Amino acid sequence: MPKPNRRVAICGGGIFRPDLWHGENAEEGVATAYQDLLRQCPNLEPDDIDAVMMSYFSDHLNQQLCMGWIIQDYLGLHNKPGYRVESGGSTPLDALINAYYLIQSGFFDVILIPGWEWMCEVDVASTNEMIASAADTDWDFPVGGYYNAYYAAMEVRHMQLYGETCEDLGRIAVKNHNNSTHIPFSQWLSQHGTAPITLEDYWKSRLVCWPYRVLNNAVMSEGACCILMAAEEKVNRFTDTPMWITGVGLGTDSMRPGDRTVDFVYAGFKDEAKIYPDFVKIPKTPYPDMANFASLHVAAKRAYAQAGITNPLKEIDLMELFTPYDGVELCLYEDLGLCGRGEGKYMIREGIVEYGGECPVLLSGGLTSTGHPVGATTLYYTTFLYWQLAGKVKEMCGPDGLQVPNAKRALITGHGGTGCQGGVIIFERD
Amino acid sequence: MEEEKGLTEIKLKVRSVKRERERKYRDYPAVVDKSTAAHDFWEPIVHLGLWDIKGHQIVKGPWGGGTVEQAKKRAPKEFMVIDRASFALYSHSYGLVSPFFRGLLEGKLMGTKCPKCGTVYCPPRAHCWNPQCKVADCFDNWVDLPSAGIIHTFTVQCLAAAPFEHMLPFSMGWVQVDGADTTLSMLLHIRPKELFIGKKVNIEFMPKESRKGDLMDLYAVAAIQDEKPPEWACLQKDPKEMESVENSTKATLEFIKNRYGIDNSPETRGW
Ligand SMILES: [Zn+2]
Repeated sequence: MPKPNRRVAICGGGIFRPDLWHGENAEEGVATAYQDLLRQCPNLEPDDIDAVMMSYFSDHLNQQLCMGWIIQDYLGLHNKPGYRVESGGSTPLDALINAYYLIQSGFFDVILIPGWEWMCEVDVASTNEMIASAADTDWDFPVGGYYNAYYAAMEVRHMQLYGETCEDLGRIAVKNHNNSTHIPFSQWLSQHGTAPITLEDYWKSRLVCWPYRVLNNAVMSEGACCILMAAEEKVNRFTDTPMWITGVGLGTDSMRPGDRTVDFVYAGFKDEAKIYPDFVKIPKTPYPDMANFASLHVAAKRAYAQAGITNPLKEIDLMELFTPYDGVELCLYEDLGLCGRGEGKYMIREGIVEYGGECPVLLSGGLTSTGHPVGATTLYYTTFLYWQLAGKVKEMCGPDGLQVPNAKRALITGHGGTGCQGGVIIFERD
Repeated sequence: MEEEKGLTEIKLKVRSVKRERERKYRDYPAVVDKSTAAHDFWEPIVHLGLWDIKGHQIVKGPWGGGTVEQAKKRAPKEFMVIDRASFALYSHSYGLVSPFFRGLLEGKLMGTKCPKCGTVYCPPRAHCWNPQCKVADCFDNWVDLPSAGIIHTFTVQCLAAAPFEHMLPFSMGWVQVDGADTTLSMLLHIRPKELFIGKKVNIEFMPKESRKGDLMDLYAVAAIQDEKPPEWACLQKDPKEMESVENSTKATLEFIKNRYGIDNSPETRGW
């Protein structure tokens, strides 16, 4: 484990809220988010920014390559070093980690991280097609596939092995949508208002790919967010409530989930083979199989080691998980070590991950309700965690905001492909 | 609109005017060429877009930063939204695993076997990914596989990406072909009420003349006729779920019939 050279913190986030459609185009949306950041950090001057780390996923959705150049130019930051990070859904988390590496190693002191995605220029079926081209286009895409189907099939396998039910997936959907109504920037709130939903609404929601219903799936969004990250020497200039990065971890897994039956690099988890019920043929690599997310498992291990965490459930106050489909949330409870393998269902049944529970997950509502403009997604949820650790949720979201009292330490994940890439960051306040 | 049509016709002519096709591999013999005629037909069509603006709308909508409430309180602005189209035809090589896809054309299933660790790959890998084998060559070590396997996992789709929408509803899944260590994605021509993990399937091929050389050339069918799913099968063990899947697939059938005039019902398709 490399020893950090110096401490690095998130100093604030500016938001251009996610919604199904915006009249503004991407550069105007990013500029609006940057304005918001400048308001949050009034001392921030363009000269303070050493480099720009840009987070956006698709070149297809807008038929624009090198969109990052437009953004840097539009913000008037085109004399700075600029980097684009792209790793599917993991893009914004990856951008944060890459910015962290560059600051921590001493190359730069202050990095601006703008993230955005404009996903609604083509019809939804075509957006799905363009996103699915992040899957293996020779092998997985041609078979009627897209991510809803891949993830549904993975959840079916997990469900068969460990016995969670559709109702468990429904409970997660209800929790997240209702959390989302407390976020005044939420896409769900913009389209459906603040009325809470129930399991009844969940059962009525249209089946997309069994077992996933509409309410289990990430939404399509347009939106932008700008994060400011700085080295400890500069932090005080921008904020009184820095959110320190105390652990980071990245992990990857096979491109095709179907290859995970013989996933040689994960042969180290074979001890867990006993979990397999009698009727299932045990694959050569019992973990992650085609059910769990090994990339996140190793990413979390790396981040926990750096942050000195041994019992994440006890030692972390709240989590923002990247869950494009609700089964991912259930699996991640296990992969992140909040519970044993196959026990994810109890986390939701026993209310452990609800507001007021031992470890609330997705108080933001997350990707299925509040919004998922890919390149901005994790930056929004990092901003929400920043408000949590700064104790500013009610200030930013109003009196209904779900502030976790005295929150000190939080975790966020990123997640690309079918878990082909994943990452974890641990945040702490002073 | 008429004027626009005329312009598009001219541009299409520019595109399709007979000239020798680019041959990036013109120095190498095309042992089989089922491409040139198709190319002449499709190349102009995929370029119908031509980056032309096909139309526009003026949309009055919310703008600016802040919360949903703040945005919706502002006087809306008028945004011009243009419709712009473009695309291209890709000539993509299947590389060293090309024999697999030629095998599909012949109705044959093959995998590669690592000469070092013995892992059998289907989907085939040209090089072994076992780190111990240091990307050992597998591409000259093909094994014939039987047209049979077991379902590793599956889903029932009532929604699909654009190219597959007209086929809805359908099931796709991953099948471990007998003798292979990895699993292959394919369509499952099996009704939801019979689908379960661990189910034995046979792999069948489309009629020879309609095979194209991708995984859509094959599909799985139940190996055992009218097999009753075991009591632990996750889809059928909850009758409420099964009913919801049946209702959703019915609604999807209706939707596809109305939208495309295609009848995908089990009575017509046979599954
Ligand atoms: Zn090998």
